[in-house]
Amino acid sequence: MSASPGSVAEIQALIRSAAAAGTPLIPVGRRSWPGAGGWAPKEGRALDTTPLKRIRHYEPADLTITADAGIGLDELDAGLAENGQWLPIDSPGAGSGTLGAAAATGGFGPLRQRYGATRDNVLGLEVVTGDGRLLRLGGRVVKNVAGYDLVRVFVGSRGSLGVITRVSMRLFPRPEEDRTLIYRVRAERALAMATALRRGHLPVAAVVLGSGGMEGGGGRAATLAARILGGGRGAREITGRVVAALGADPDEALRDEASRRFHDRHRQWEDDARLMVRLRALPDRLDEVVAIAQPVAAAVAGEIAADARNGVVRVKTPAAPAGRDEVVAALAGARGRVEALGGSLALDDAAGELGRRVGWVGRGGGAGGIVRRIKSLFDPHGVLAPRCPE
Amino acid sequence: MAGPGRVRQSRPSATASQPAATDPASSLARALREQEEGLLNCVHCGFCLPACPTYRRLGDEADSPRGRLHLMRAVVEGRLEPGAEAYQRHIGRCLGCRACEPVCPSGVAYGHLLELARRVGNEAKPPSLVTRIILATFGSRWAWRPLLAGARLLRALGLPALAARRPRSGANARGPRLALAMLAASARVRSLPESPPDEVPSPTTPTTNAGRTAADSPSPTDGPDNRPTVAILTGCVQAGLFGRVNAATRRVLEANGYRVVPVGAQGCCGALHAHAGELDSARELARRNVAAFEAAGADYLAMNASGCGAAMREYGSLFSQDDPDAPRAAALAERVRDLSELLVVRGPRPGGSIHLAATSDAPCHLLHAQGVADAPERVLRAIPGLRLLPLQGASECCGGAGIYGLTQPELGGMIGGDKVRNILESGAAAVVTGNPGCMMQIGAGLRLAGSSVVVLHPAELLDESYRRGGLYDGQGR
Amino acid sequence: MIQQSLVRELRAICGSYGVLDDPDALLVYESDALTAYRHRPAAVVLPRTTRETRESVAAIARHGLPIVPRGAGTGLSGGAVALNDAIVVGTARMNRILGIDAPNRRAVLQPGVINAELSVAARRHGLYYAPDPSSQTTCTIGGNVAENSGGPHCLKYGVTSRYVTGLEVVLPDGEVIRIGGQGRDAPGYDLVGLFVGSEGCFGIATEIEVSLLPVPESVRTLLAIFDRIEDAGRAVSEIMSAGMLPAAMEIIDGATIRAVEDSVFAAGYPTDAEAALVIEFDGLEAGLKGDAERARRRCLATGAREVRTAQDEAERAALWKGRKKAFGAMGRIAPDLLVQDATVPRTALPSVLRGISRISARHDLVVANVFHAGDGNLHPNILFDRRDAEELERVERASKEIMRLCVDAGGTITGEHGVGLDKKHHMTLIYGPDELNAMWGIRRVFDPGETMNPGKVLPDETQPVAAAVPA
Ligand SMILES: Cc1cc2nc3c(=O)[nH]c(=O)nc-3n(C[C@H](O)[C@H](O)[C@H](O)COP(=O)(O)OP(=O)(O)OC[C@H]3O[C@@H](n4cnc5c(N)ncnc54)[C@H](O)[C@@H]3O)c2cc1C
Ligand code: SF4
Ligand code: SF4
Repeated sequence: MSASPGSVAEIQALIRSAAAAGTPLIPVGRRSWPGAGGWAPKEGRALDTTPLKRIRHYEPADLTITADAGIGLDELDAGLAENGQWLPIDSPGAGSGTLGAAAATGGFGPLRQRYGATRDNVLGLEVVTGDGRLLRLGGRVVKNVAGYDLVRVFVGSRGSLGVITRVSMRLFPRPEEDRTLIYRVRAERALAMATALRRGHLPVAAVVLGSGGMEGGGGRAATLAARILGGGRGAREITGRVVAALGADPDEALRDEASRRFHDRHRQWEDDARLMVRLRALPDRLDEVVAIAQPVAAAVAGEIAADARNGVVRVKTPAAPAGRDEVVAALAGARGRVEALGGSLALDDAAGELGRRVGWVGRGGGAGGIVRRIKSLFDPHGVLAPRCPE
Repeated sequence: MAGPGRVRQSRPSATASQPAATDPASSLARALREQEEGLLNCVHCGFCLPACPTYRRLGDEADSPRGRLHLMRAVVEGRLEPGAEAYQRHIGRCLGCRACEPVCPSGVAYGHLLELARRVGNEAKPPSLVTRIILATFGSRWAWRPLLAGARLLRALGLPALAARRPRSGANARGPRLALAMLAASARVRSLPESPPDEVPSPTTPTTNAGRTAADSPSPTDGPDNRPTVAILTGCVQAGLFGRVNAATRRVLEANGYRVVPVGAQGCCGALHAHAGELDSARELARRNVAAFEAAGADYLAMNASGCGAAMREYGSLFSQDDPDAPRAAALAERVRDLSELLVVRGPRPGGSIHLAATSDAPCHLLHAQGVADAPERVLRAIPGLRLLPLQGASECCGGAGIYGLTQPELGGMIGGDKVRNILESGAAAVVTGNPGCMMQIGAGLRLAGSSVVVLHPAELLDESYRRGGLYDGQGR
Repeated sequence: MIQQSLVRELRAICGSYGVLDDPDALLVYESDALTAYRHRPAAVVLPRTTRETRESVAAIARHGLPIVPRGAGTGLSGGAVALNDAIVVGTARMNRILGIDAPNRRAVLQPGVINAELSVAARRHGLYYAPDPSSQTTCTIGGNVAENSGGPHCLKYGVTSRYVTGLEVVLPDGEVIRIGGQGRDAPGYDLVGLFVGSEGCFGIATEIEVSLLPVPESVRTLLAIFDRIEDAGRAVSEIMSAGMLPAAMEIIDGATIRAVEDSVFAAGYPTDAEAALVIEFDGLEAGLKGDAERARRRCLATGAREVRTAQDEAERAALWKGRKKAFGAMGRIAPDLLVQDATVPRTALPSVLRGISRISARHDLVVANVFHAGDGNLHPNILFDRRDAEELERVERASKEIMRLCVDAGGTITGEHGVGLDKKHHMTLIYGPDELNAMWGIRRVFDPGETMNPGKVLPDETQPVAAAVPA
C-alpha cells in the first residue's frame, strides 16, 4: 500500500493524518534502497515522492540547481550535461535513485575527496516534518551561515525526521576528460598500489578496488581502478604520474564514456545486495580493514569492494543470509576489530532479524540523548521511520 | 629588505591644534586625547594578538595590544581612571617590543601611543622607586658614569658570575640575582666556543660561508678623502659596560670604508625614559644629542644598540610640531642607521674564519621598530666558517625590554625562559644579537640555566673575524 | 558583580592567571571585532584543558549564570559579546595542536589554535588547512567552527564544515560529548555538521578534528583591472560557466582601491579603475597555464583594461596586497567601519552592486566593496564616524536596505560572518515562524536552559512561548 501525493500540501495532510492514526509512513523515492540501513520500518505505508519532479530553478552560471525531491538523478544529469555541468553524487546506487533519496541517505562515494560528500553540496532543503510543518532551510547560494544549519540534520537522516520535498545543490563543471586506469592484480598488490597513490598526494579523483567479480576479472584476482578527471594537459600529466607511481602500465585505460560507464556500474554494485556491510576506518588502515572484512565475506559467500581514498570497505551478497549464528559471530567479531581501529561497521542493508541481533551501527558517539531529542523535536509522534538508530 | 635608506615612520606627529581638555581627569588624559585620532586607527581586528608575547603567555586580552589600546581609549573616553589598577597593571606589563606594529593592517603607531599611555599612567600614579632611581641615573651623566664604573669593578671581581652560578632553580632567580647575572653577562667572552668544521651541527638548510675568504673581497674603493663619515652613538650602558663593542664598531666601520668622526658631549639617547613615559626627560636628552651630533657633522649616525637606534630614528616626532627643535631633530633622525645596515651596503667585506655554530636573535627595536630584518644575518654571512642555525621564535622579544626584567620579574622570567629554551634547542654555541639590553637579558638567562652558550654582539664577532683575516694588519691595532 | 565564591571556585580550577574579574580590565572583553555592540562580561575564565573547561562550565552552571565562548574575538557579528552579565570562557590558553596524522591528512587540535598556525605546522608534512578566512593569522579554529567560516579559497575548496570531521564538546551543563571523529563518516545524524556554525550556542568545542589537504604544487595569480564593476562581475560569471574552477576570485571596488592607494599600503592598483579582480588557480603546473590564459582572455573580452600575471611568489604577493590590506586601509580613512556580509547568486552580482551604490548615494555614505566574488559573497563596508549620531542612523538604514536587496536577489543575510547580535533582526527576512521555531527547538536540544551564548542568532520576539522543549 502506498500513497502518491501530488503536492507538498498533500504530503503535509498525509503526514498529519498518519500522525493522528498512529500509522507509520516510509518516505520513498525509486525504492532502490527501501530498508535504508534498518532506519525505515519494513511495515508501514510508503509515501511515494516521485510524482514531484520539477526543476524549480536552474541558472547555469550560478552553478546551482533547485529541484523537487522526486526527480531521478539520471534525469537531472541529462539536463546538466547540456550545460557542461554535473552533480558529482556517486554514493552507492545513486544513479538510479532520486535527488531526494540521495539527500536523505546523505552518503558519499569515492569522489568525495575531490568534490565533498553529498552533505557538503546540499545548499538548501524543503522538508515536511513528522508533525506536518513545512520548513524551508538553507537557500540556493553557495555560502550561507544564517541560523543553525538544520540542513545538515536532515541530510542523512534517512526519512526519520521529515520528508524532503525539494533540494538545492551546488554543481560543478563537468570534467573535460574522464579517464580510468584499470589494473588487474593480486589483492595484496592492489592494496599496495592504493597506498602508493595515497602517499603520492596525487590528485586522483577516485581509487576503487574490488575483489574479482567487480569488473569481470575472474578468479581470485583483484581490480584497482584509478579515476582521473580534468582537462587536457593536466589530465595527461596526472595519468603519467599515476603510471609512474604504480610502476606498471594499466591493463586497460578507459576514456570518457567508457570510464563513466565503469563507475556507474560500480555505483550499482550494491543494487542486488540483500546483505550489505559497510566497514570504515582511517585510509591508512585499509589493509587491516580488508583483512577484517575477509572472514565476513567468507561467512556470507559475498564479494568485497573498497573505496581506498575514504577508507571504506563493503561486503555484499545477493543472497539473504538468515541470522545464522556463524554469520552473527563473524559480523560481531569484525565490528569489534574495526572499532578497535577507531572505525565502524554498519549494516546498510540486512534482514530485520540479523540487523536486530548484530545491531545496525554499533557503538554510538555518547550523544544518544541529543539524537533522541532531535528525533522527537521533528517527529514528535514517531510517524516517520521510528527505528532511528543511535 | 631594508637598506640604509629605509626608515619606518611610525609615530604620527603630535598635533598642537587639538583643543585643551575640559573634563576633570584631564591634564593627565590630554596627551592621549591628542592622540585620539591615532587610537581611532585601531579597527579592533585583533591581528596583533598572536604577535604579542604577553598575550601569548597569559591569554588575557587586557595584556594584548588591542586590549591595551582599548584601555587607553577608555581613559580618553573618561570610562577609566589612569590610576586604576587595571590600567597600571596592563600598561605596565607591556614589553614595548612593538611586535604588534608590523602586523597591524591599520598602521597603528603603538610604540608612540604606549609612551603617552605610560606618561599618563605615571602622572596618575608615580612609578616604583626602583624605576625612578634607574631612570634618574641614566638621565645624568654624572650619575651613570660612576655607577657603571662601579659595576665594571664589581664585574671584574667576578662576584656576579659567582652569584649567578649558584645552583638554585633558575625560575626563582629574581631581583638582585637577576641583576647580578645580567651584569655578569655583559662581560667580554674570553674565548669563542669554536668547534672544528665537521663537528659543527648542521642545520636543515645550512648557510655556510665556506669558500669566501678575505682575499676575494674588494677592498674599499673610496679614497681616504671622500669616504662617507660616520658618528657613533657611544651610549650610556654601551659606553659603561660594552666599551669593547664600541671599539669593535669603530674598527669594522673603518674596515668597510667609512671614516669615523668623534662626537663631543653626547649622552644617553633617552629611550628608557621615553618608554617609561618620562617624555620631558627624554626630550631634554634628545636636545643635547641633537646639538652634539649636529656639531660632529657626519653623513650617518651609526647605532650599535638597537634600542637607541629606534629612539633616535624617532627623535623627529618626540617633539611637538611647534617646538623649535623639532625640524633639527627630524633632520638628524634621517641620518640614523643601524650598524648592520651600514655594513651591508658595503658587503660587508669578509674576514678570517671562525668555526662557530651560531644563531641570531632579532632585537625587537631593530626588527619591529626600525624594520631592519635581514641586515644582521647578512653581516654574519661575511664570516667564513660561521654556521647560522635557525632559531625558533627569533623575532619574539627576549623579555629584557629595558628594565622589564626588574619591574615584571615573573612575566619577564616566562618570556626570557622561552628564549633561553629556544636557544638551547637550536644547538648553537653562541647567540648573536645587536642590542646590549638583549645581550644582558639573554646572557643572564643562559647563565642562570647553567648553560655555556655565549652571547655576542655582531660587531664583536665581525671584528674578531677581521682580526683573524688580517684586515687590521699594519694598522697598529 | 560576580559572587566571590564562584571566583574562588574558578581560580581553584584554572589557576590565578586563568580567572579575570577586575571590572576595569574586563572592559577589553566588551566587544569582538564589531565594536558597535558592547557589553562587559561579569568575568573571564581561561581554561587550559577539557577538564578545566568542563569543571568551569559546571561550576558556572551551578551558579545559574550564562556563558559566552570566545576565541580570538575577531568575529564580525557580535557573537562573542557577553549579554546578561555572562561569563566569558575563552580558549586563548587552549592552543595546542594535539597531533598531525599525515598519512590520513588529519589533525586534532585544541580550539584556541590559530588557523594559520595549523597550516604552518601541517606544511612540514606537505599539507595545509584549506579554509582561509582573511583573519586567518589570528582567528581560532574554534571560532571558525562556531561561525562556519569561509575565505577567498573556499571557492574551490569549500568552507569550514567540509573540513571538520570530529568534535569534543562541553555542553552547557558541563557534560562532555564526542561526535564524529576519525574521519567523520559514522552513521547517524550529522551532529558535527549541525554544531559547525552554531555560533557558540550549543556548547564549547574543546577538541577539534579536521582534515587537511596536500599543498598545491603550483599557483597562478592574475589581476584584471576594470573600468566598470559590472564588467568584473560578468567576468566572474563567465569564467565559472566556462568550466574553470579557480581557487579564488576576489573583487576590490574603486572606492576600496582608492582607500588602499591613498594609504601607506599602496599596492599599485590604478586609482581611476572601478574594479580589480584577483583570480588564482592552483593545482598541477601542467594544467595551470592553459587555465590562466583562458581566464585572461575572458577578462579582456568582458572589458578588462589590463590583466597582470604574477611570475613568482613576490609578484603574487604584490597582486594580492590590495585585497589583503583593504580592511586596514579603510580603518585609516574613516574612524569606524561596518563590515557587512551577504551572499547573492553569482549572476546577480552586477545588479546588486548597482543597487548598493544607489543605496549608498541615497544615504550619503561611502560604501566600499571587497568581496569573495566567485562565491557571490559580498562585503559592502560602510565607512562612518560613530561620534556622529545622525550618520549612525543613516548607516543602520542603509545596512538594512542592503540586506533586503540581497535577499530579494535570491541571496542570504550572511555568507560567513554569522548572525550573532548584529543580524538577528534580519533573520525574519529569510525565515518564517516555522523555521525559527525549529531553530529555537534545536538550540534547546543542546541548551535547554538557554545559558550558552544567550541572546544570539534568533530574534527574541520569535521565541516560542510554550517552549517545545523535547524530552
Ligand atoms: C579583518 C577581518 C577579516 C575577516 N575575514 C573573514 C573571512 O574572510 N571569512 C570569514 O568567515 N570570517 C572572517 N572574519 C570574521 C572572523 O574572523 C571569523 O568569524 C572567525 O572565525 C572568528 O574566530 P575567533 O576565534 O575570533 O572567534 P570569536 O570572535 O572569539 O568568536 C566567534 C563566535 O564563536 C564562538 N566560539 C569561539 N570559540 C568557540 C569554541 N571553542 N566553541 C564554541 N564556540 C566558540 C563565540 O561564542 C562566538 O559566537 C574576519 C574578521 C576580521 C576582523
Ligand atoms: S592589529 Fe592594529 S588595528 Fe588591529 S587590533 Fe591590533 S592595533 Fe588595532
Ligand atoms: S609592544 Fe610588545 S608586549 Fe607591548 S603590546 Fe605590543 S607586542 Fe605586546
